[in-house]
Amino acid sequence: MADAATPANWTPRGAWAGILQDGHLGVAGTPGVRIAARDGLGIASLIAPGTGAAALTAAVKARFGLDLPTKPAISHSATHAAVWAGPGQWLLLAENRDGFDDALQAVVGLGAVAEQSSGRAVLRLSGPKAREALAKGCMLDLHPAAFPVGMAALTSIGHIGVHLWRAEDGPEGAVFEMMVARSMAGSFWSWLSGAVAEFGCQVVATEGSTGRG
Amino acid sequence: MRITCPHCGARDAQEFSYLGDANPKRPDGLDATEAAMHDYVYQRDNPAGRHRELWYHGAGCHAWLVVTRDTRSHAIEAVEVASTVRSGAAA
Repeated sequence: MADAATPANWTPRGAWAGILQDGHLGVAGTPGVRIAARDGLGIASLIAPGTGAAALTAAVKARFGLDLPTKPAISHSATHAAVWAGPGQWLLLAENRDGFDDALQAVVGLGAVAEQSSGRAVLRLSGPKAREALAKGCMLDLHPAAFPVGMAALTSIGHIGVHLWRAEDGPEGAVFEMMVARSMAGSFWSWLSGAVAEFGCQVVATEGSTGRG
Repeated sequence: MRITCPHCGARDAQEFSYLGDANPKRPDGLDATEAAMHDYVYQRDNPAGRHRELWYHGAGCHAWLVVTRDTRSHAIEAVEVASTVRSGAAA
């Protein structure tokens, strides 16, 4: 029997829908910070079994061409990435969610594998003032000497758990990507939008899945 | 105070939760006397000086750590992953 309470027009929407809006935020002029939503990523958590990560590591290497980092870092291929998420734990990222479930079959049974694509919200933060804005709430030292390209960290910003990593540098310097639990996206944006306002911020809410993960 | 997590590096103490003395070992349940269980549950030393204590890196890698700290100066002598020292903990 059809559930009369279920609307027929339900459609999936990005984690930042209704939170981020395209446009300029804060003081006018050249933006000091640029923020882009990273919607459409495939995300899965991988946790090695108690017997060790050897089989999981080999399978990820064979299927995705990625080395699972053993320290807080991210490894990239053209289409996928693996981010350290604690000892024996990783997040597997796919640039495009299409076909991700099928690809995950390569690691099913080799550890605890959980699809998280709709459970996380990811942002890219760049611009000449990105580090200065993050410094208002992030307790990590993000200076290039302490936090090089490819480094990752789990930390807390404004009492919200944040998974943070530094992507390839862009034309304006360091590029950070930040992931929060989707249910915290609104609260996190409340902090971030306040932190970036004084520098002026360009917001791209509808980037799609074209950038790097 | 900053704690150098063996996994994550030096982090502010507010990323961690304190869970007390790392030394007490739970007596074997069925064989334990009431007095031994009482001591395990309630009796704690409160040293002025070197103290081995449990911390949980809740905002980071979720690892349990054994931190050896001087309670007078907060100087941290060692941070170990609890799962690797569990078997070797002092009674």
